[in-house]
Amino acid sequence: MKDTLLSNCERDFLLKAIEEKKRLDGRQTYDYRKIKITFGTDYGCCYVDLGKTRVMAQVSCELVAPKENRPNEGIMFFNIELSPLASPIFEQGRQSELSVKLNRQLERCLRNSKCIDTESLCVVSGEKVWQIRVDVHMLNHDGNLMDAASIAAITALCHFRRPDIAVQGEEVTVYSPEERDPIALSIYHMPISVSFSFFQQGTYLLVDPCEREERVMDGLLMIAMNKHREICSVQSSGGIMLLKEQVLRCSKIASVKVSEITELISKALENDKKARKAGGRCGFAESLPQERITALKMDEMPVEVTDVTEQAYDIIQKTKEPPQTVPSPLVPAPGVGQVDQGQQNTWGLEEEEEEREDGVEEEAVMEVEQQKEEESKGNIVEISDSEEEEVIILHPETPDTLHKSSCHQQGSATSKKKHKK
Amino acid sequence: MRRRRSRRRVNACEAGFPNSVEMFSRLKNKVGEVLLPGDEFCFDTDDTISLTESVKAEKVVCGPGLRRSGDRLVVCKSGVLRHKQPNVFWMDAQQKRYVPAKGETVIGIVTTKSGDVFKVDFGGSEQASLSYLAFEGATKRNRPNVQVGDLVFAQFLIANKDMEPELVCIDGSGRANGMGVFGAGGLLFMVSLGLVRRLLAPGSEIMSDLSQLFPCELVVGMNGRLWVKASSIQRTLIVSNLLQSCENMTATQRRELFKRVAQGAL
Amino acid sequence: MTSFTCDESVSLCEGNMMEVCGSTDSCLREFGCEQSLLSRPDGSASFVQGDTSVLAGVYGPAEVKVSKEIYDRATLEVLVQPKVGLPTVKERSQEQCVRETCEASLLLTLHPRSSLTLVLQVLHDDGSLLSCSLNAACMALMDAGLPMSCLFCGVTCAIDADGRIITDPTAAQEKESRALLTFAVDSTERKVLMSSTRGSFSVHELQQCIAVSQKASEKIFQFYRDSVRRRYSKTL
Repeated sequence: MKDTLLSNCERDFLLKAIEEKKRLDGRQTYDYRKIKITFGTDYGCCYVDLGKTRVMAQVSCELVAPKENRPNEGIMFFNIELSPLASPIFEQGRQSELSVKLNRQLERCLRNSKCIDTESLCVVSGEKVWQIRVDVHMLNHDGNLMDAASIAAITALCHFRRPDIAVQGEEVTVYSPEERDPIALSIYHMPISVSFSFFQQGTYLLVDPCEREERVMDGLLMIAMNKHREICSVQSSGGIMLLKEQVLRCSKIASVKVSEITELISKALENDKKARKAGGRCGFAESLPQERITALKMDEMPVEVTDVTEQAYDIIQKTKEPPQTVPSPLVPAPGVGQVDQGQQNTWGLEEEEEEREDGVEEEAVMEVEQQKEEESKGNIVEISDSEEEEVIILHPETPDTLHKSSCHQQGSATSKKKHKK
Repeated sequence: MRRRRSRRRVNACEAGFPNSVEMFSRLKNKVGEVLLPGDEFCFDTDDTISLTESVKAEKVVCGPGLRRSGDRLVVCKSGVLRHKQPNVFWMDAQQKRYVPAKGETVIGIVTTKSGDVFKVDFGGSEQASLSYLAFEGATKRNRPNVQVGDLVFAQFLIANKDMEPELVCIDGSGRANGMGVFGAGGLLFMVSLGLVRRLLAPGSEIMSDLSQLFPCELVVGMNGRLWVKASSIQRTLIVSNLLQSCENMTATQRRELFKRVAQGAL
Repeated sequence: MTSFTCDESVSLCEGNMMEVCGSTDSCLREFGCEQSLLSRPDGSASFVQGDTSVLAGVYGPAEVKVSKEIYDRATLEVLVQPKVGLPTVKERSQEQCVRETCEASLLLTLHPRSSLTLVLQVLHDDGSLLSCSLNAACMALMDAGLPMSCLFCGVTCAIDADGRIITDPTAAQEKESRALLTFAVDSTERKVLMSSTRGSFSVHELQQCIAVSQKASEKIFQFYRDSVRRRYSKTL
């Protein structure tokens, strides 16, 4: 599906507003939208709301053989899925330019920055290592997917627990969470991506662009940084030329944003840990907003099933047993078995019988029906799209009238048949 | 094939039931209530048909969301049942996607110019065509100045599920009547169709509340697109954000909000 | 497979009929729903049943690809997105179940030559995933304001080793069950629109499960009504 064209009016207004340092949602130039982090029921599942943009990350693990050149290291695998849920322009199963760009940036942000201790993921050197897979699903696209995805991915990685294992010689035992407590990944630092969009050849700059701002921007700069102010990756796209000062200024802004976001993530993780320890329910079901008008929740409730058995019994009693005629296989030639071929066809006969039955019923009601038809013909006036003029319209018959008329035809046809007989 | 004459909008179907007095009261009882698809109004036709005296059938006009199926009237959209004197009933639903209806005015974006027509995106399932002659004062020589990406305020001449929709920027007498290409400036944004209908309802409270705030130009398209222009960018943004937040608010909450804005902004 | 075992199974079931009546722990887990929670889709809903939750979004009626255009009705496409990895055969079969149910209840002929896309994102699977998907789908379709002849809901029943019927089972209960049946029930006549079963069961058990599902569906339809009523409570 194509996206709607951005009108000239929106473009002009947005650019003019940016010149006046105004944004559509009333934010300041350097403001992020509201970030909300929630966790799913299982470990390693994280939802991030960035304004109206919404993403979900899920971490999973699997024992695999390591790469040949790195026998002692676990494997990290990232996958950003641009689900058609997020925007009608995203198509399922197609690698778009945007998805390649986002995937590459996430890999550079999280894998190449060596933020995760991959060596600790080694089980048996050269034979078995953990593969950690991070799936990021875009649920709603309202701009700045990259920042939301990076926050979701790193938070999910922090939240994830892999099953404990024991190695005895060649044998590897994987313990279920009931047997042994699962183990968290060792994470050195948390790189977070911060996006800057540039307008008018880099004259104006906005942090965390929303979807409409992204559509009018000239260029984008993404800086991934951790809270120790170490830059993990820088990517500039859109073909604008930035001055050294601009990049430095962006990195300064990024450092402030990153420390804020890191704080938020650790707070969210801590809250979740507490909730899990307390044994309370956690996860998505609990995060359903209760105060919203669009949300409703019901408590567990029993289903009244006292008369169910009798009902079922009744139905079975009432239904007739299907005829147990097993067509005797004919053997037209030795070595060939054939079922229900060459026997007399009973279909035509049955049909006629059915029709006759219909006809009898139909006749009884026909008079009434006709009456109704006549009356309703006079009364139904389906207003069509002509205005004060007489037009003959090929009127699409509604299924009902169609059905009715066909019934009639059938009825009359069969009654005729009867007369003949 | 049937021959008929009509003066009203599309999407409406009139249904006359033999004992429609009963149906009328049943429908009326439910006005203002929330109904779901599959809810039906059933009429026992068999026992009350009188063959000798002709029953004076009262007609009921069913708008969007109500369908006639045999001798029943079936709801097919979730929403609130509304009634307009004397006999019009329809379902008021909060949806986002627009389905065109003849005679409705919408805000469209010109996407391509091809030959004699412009293709206009109005948020429906296909693009509408808009002839370059369908503007006030347009002739073959004197073409209107419309560029790709421009906004037009236009009316549906043809809106039928089986045909390509067609828009015009003139009324029956060839006058613009407020329609045409938009001038520069202003902001376009989207709200739900339910809110649009509330804005356009005669004596709309939101509109009167808004008009007390500060002067602004507002164009409301039935397709959920609104265009606002106020004296400054700041004010335009305020109006757009206010209207977008009106979606789920009671009248008192809204007045409270408007009051706060009036105090803060002025 | 059906008729000739009928008598046997009935008599067999008569034996534990008392047991069924006495100790059926048929209950629906707590469930909840939020409508229009996403800004981009035309209709969206998330449905939660216990820990199982599914997010559904609908786009349409929208422009259709020429290759998928149907001249007299809308093209409905259902996509199920798993939580981990790419869609597999399991998701494809789920897509088909949901699509067939939706096609039965939607009035697709009212929007010819257009496309409807329903995307279901699994948020968490703790049993009864298909019925949760169906419920989320129905809420999302309602939110999008698409014309429907009736509503539908999904109910999953598991039959455990003792022949007991458990409605809305968790993942653990599903694993231990002998048979698993999911039905889509329509709101007007409580008829079965779709059924998807796994494992072996007798005719009597099948009928019993259908009857239980029909009972349970009433609770869910009431819930639909309550949540829509709540939603429109400010615009009445």
